Amino acid sequence: MSQQIQMTVNDQQVGPVDVPEGLKMIEFLHEYLNLTGTKFGCGAGVCHACTVIVEGKNGVSEVVRTCISGVERFADKKVRTVEGHAKRNAAGEITELTPVQMAFLEHFSFQCGWCTSGFINETTALMERLAKAPVATANVEQVIEEALKEHICRCTGYVKYYQGVKDLILNTKGLTY
Amino acid sequence: MKATDLSKPAGFARQIKAVLVSLLILGGLSAAQAAQDQGGLIAQGKYLAEIGDCVACHTPQGGRELSGGLPFETPFGIVYSTNITSDKETGIGYYSYRDFYRAMHEGISPNGNLYPAMPYTSYHLLTDADTRALYAYFMNTKPIRQENKASEISFPFNIRMGLKAWNMMNHEDSEFIANPAKSDSWNRGSYLVNVLGHCGECHTPRNTTFAMKPEAHFQGAVLDTFEASNITPQELNRQNWTHEDLKQLFTKGYSRKGTVFGGMYPVVYHSYSHLTEQDMRAVTSYLLDNEADIEELPLAFNGHDKDAPGYNIYMGYCAGCHGQDGEGRPNVAPALAGNATLDRSSVFNAVSLLLNGIVSQHYNSTTSFYAMPGYAEKFDDQQLTDLVNYMRITWTGQKADIRVTEVNDIRTNMKQALH
Repeated sequence: MSQQIQMTVNDQQVGPVDVPEGLKMIEFLHEYLNLTGTKFGCGAGVCHACTVIVEGKNGVSEVVRTCISGVERFADKKVRTVEGHAKRNAAGEITELTPVQMAFLEHFSFQCGWCTSGFINETTALMERLAKAPVATANVEQVIEEALKEHICRCTGYVKYYQGVKDLILNTKGLTY
Repeated sequence: MKATDLSKPAGFARQIKAVLVSLLILGGLSAAQAAQDQGGLIAQGKYLAEIGDCVACHTPQGGRELSGGLPFETPFGIVYSTNITSDKETGIGYYSYRDFYRAMHEGISPNGNLYPAMPYTSYHLLTDADTRALYAYFMNTKPIRQENKASEISFPFNIRMGLKAWNMMNHEDSEFIANPAKSDSWNRGSYLVNVLGHCGECHTPRNTTFAMKPEAHFQGAVLDTFEASNITPQELNRQNWTHEDLKQLFTKGYSRKGTVFGGMYPVVYHSYSHLTEQDMRAVTSYLLDNEADIEELPLAFNGHDKDAPGYNIYMGYCAGCHGQDGEGRPNVAPALAGNATLDRSSVFNAVSLLLNGIVSQHYNSTTSFYAMPGYAEKFDDQQLTDLVNYMRITWTGQKADIRVTEVNDIRTNMKQALH
């Protein structure tokens, strides 16, 4: 049995398209849209490598794990994957990375890179949240811990990820007071 | 002569020595026997204390066993469990047997009346022999020095004299009376469940003075964010619980009919998983009111109704862990077919779990279940109603007749319970 689904992914309208029932969002991204930047890790919602961003209620973004979420969950929603962050030219070539991506590059945060897209999406959502509700400088580390603690990096590169995010938040105007 | 003279006292001395040695041996044997008896009594008391689940309430979060300090929120304020180690100054090491007996049976400690958060209203049915065994065990626990915390009960409930009146109204120190119409095993089960297990304290609704309603024994009661289930034989048999199902649930924390959660998790972990095989059968025989084996009926899966409004919600949010057909995933999430939480007349727990989620649960080195997120912010009342109705009609024999107002009531109660 199939069903029709449509959504917006990285500002591109997708569908309506027939998909089989029980299709997980990560399979949809990989197999239907060829967006393989979202990584399949544990397959049970634990490692958070497969995290994408969904525009939620009141314009507040939320992060969702795609390995345990059916494609129905994203119907008619606006979705951002790791491919949707960098600026591209008309030819589709990347011309500019986002500050989050640059922060991770500058801190040599990742090794194998499998968990990176999840970290980027989670951090991006965190930055957007802080832009609307800044936090005290003294609480930045705690806020980062809360946001990123569920993300598992098998290379154990947490320190560099966390340091990159901390530097970024402290050096971005309007996120702290 | 000298030798002869000397031999008399020497012989006498030998005789005395022999008598003394005999006495010493006898004394030694008697002391050894006493130590052995005491050791047996302590071991028996330890087993009984495990079934009584004393550790769960008397151990602070991350603290040392039985040292007290775990907070209990009551409608009148916070009560902290006390130090029940053998420490003579901050624990109960100075208790005489009489002191201990009165605390267990009458709710009266040397320092005054105990709050009924300590389930003496169930423990009072303990036999004298079991109370002595428990006393022997507690007097031999490792003493831990930890001062008790003062309760934070509001006026006028903080006046402990008031508990005397409560006891006069609601408590009678009577003995356990076996039901002559039932078997020894059934009665042993009743003793374990009602007395040591004090299951009624959570699973029996309470009256206006917060005493258990005897006429509603085991019919289920709401405790903050969960409802302690209806565990009457009628309900358990309706849901086709077998002896093996209950044994699995009590020893492992999960069975084909789902997992334990909330306050039942420590009960399994600290208490019921320690039951002997014989006592386990006694407990299940009592709970099911049936000593014979019970036929295991197939679990319900009534097929998907893709036009039902809850279908897409289930597929989008739940199927990833619970399976497309509700089959569950090992070490991740339990199956939904025949799931006891869904297959109840009350949807309180089903809605509560969807609103608040469940923390991860670890049962042994090879078995655990992942945390389930709460969807209080995600789903509105209509979506929750659609989802619960969908799951009930798909995986139980229940009707999909839950209304939005019922779900809204539960959400409102939940907010009050959590704030």
